[in-house]
Amino acid sequence: MVSALDVNALLDQVDLNAVLDQVDINQLLDRIDLDRLLERIDLNDVVKHIDVSALVEQTDLGAVIAASSSGVAGDVLDVVRSQTVGLDEFIARWIGRLRRRPYTGPPGPPDRLRPGAGS
Amino acid sequence: MTARAGDAPPSGPPAVVRESLQGKYAGFASRFTAFAVDVGVSLGVFMLALAAVSFAALVLTGKDITWHKGDIWVIIAYAVWAFIYFAYSWAASGRTAGMALFGVRVVTDDGTDASARRAVVRTLALPLSFLFLGLGFVGILLGDRRRALHDVIAGTAVIYSWDARAARLRFLSRG
Repeated sequence: MVSALDVNALLDQVDLNAVLDQVDINQLLDRIDLDRLLERIDLNDVVKHIDVSALVEQTDLGAVIAASSSGVAGDVLDVVRSQTVGLDEFIARWIGRLRRRPYTGPPGPPDRLRPGAGS
Repeated sequence: MTARAGDAPPSGPPAVVRESLQGKYAGFASRFTAFAVDVGVSLGVFMLALAAVSFAALVLTGKDITWHKGDIWVIIAYAVWAFIYFAYSWAASGRTAGMALFGVRVVTDDGTDASARRAVVRTLALPLSFLFLGLGFVGILLGDRRRALHDVIAGTAVIYSWDARAARLRFLSRG
């Protein structure tokens, strides 16, 4: 009997808007077990798809994180390191000029370096 | 002669570094200054140890021991201490005190953590880089992977281990 039914034709006659108007969303949500749903989601996989660097760069989030972990010693360290890196770049640019090879920034990283290694 | 933009070494705040350098091969200045700090630290600790030995000898035996820097035993003792200082630091964490200060670290040439064996080989090969007026260090300036002779021998490289972009954000957050 089911096979004799034209399901598509049947669905064409159903007013889905009218059906949805009768659905109590709150009641529906109450019946959903969110804990169980979340258990089935691989959050690590979701996080992998987020461009954290872009997020930090484009929002105040980075500044908030940075401000919370910054101290006087850390500031001095940042300045010392930045100045030294500046000197690295200065030397590398001049070496590039002498070799007539345009300097495009520090080379690397090594092939098998783990993300975040060394920090 | 006029200075062109970009020629002068930056004198400003951390904002000069706009990208995270983490993992990139470290340059000559960072490596040299880190090494200079390490020489200072290792010498300072060694001299403190000699002073402690002298004091202990004076208290226990009443004899006053004086050390001369040309004394062969002092030189040998310093060589052994310097070997332990560098080899242990590189084997344990990939960085010495000076390298930690300047945010660089030793890894294998493919980027994995340096083993104890490589750390020992690197330490033993380090003096070779000083031969012929420091010719072994030219690779840091000219090489594609900025490796000195002792890096090539030990199969290691030195990378930046600090996040320059985070430093910039910290600077911006203060502003």
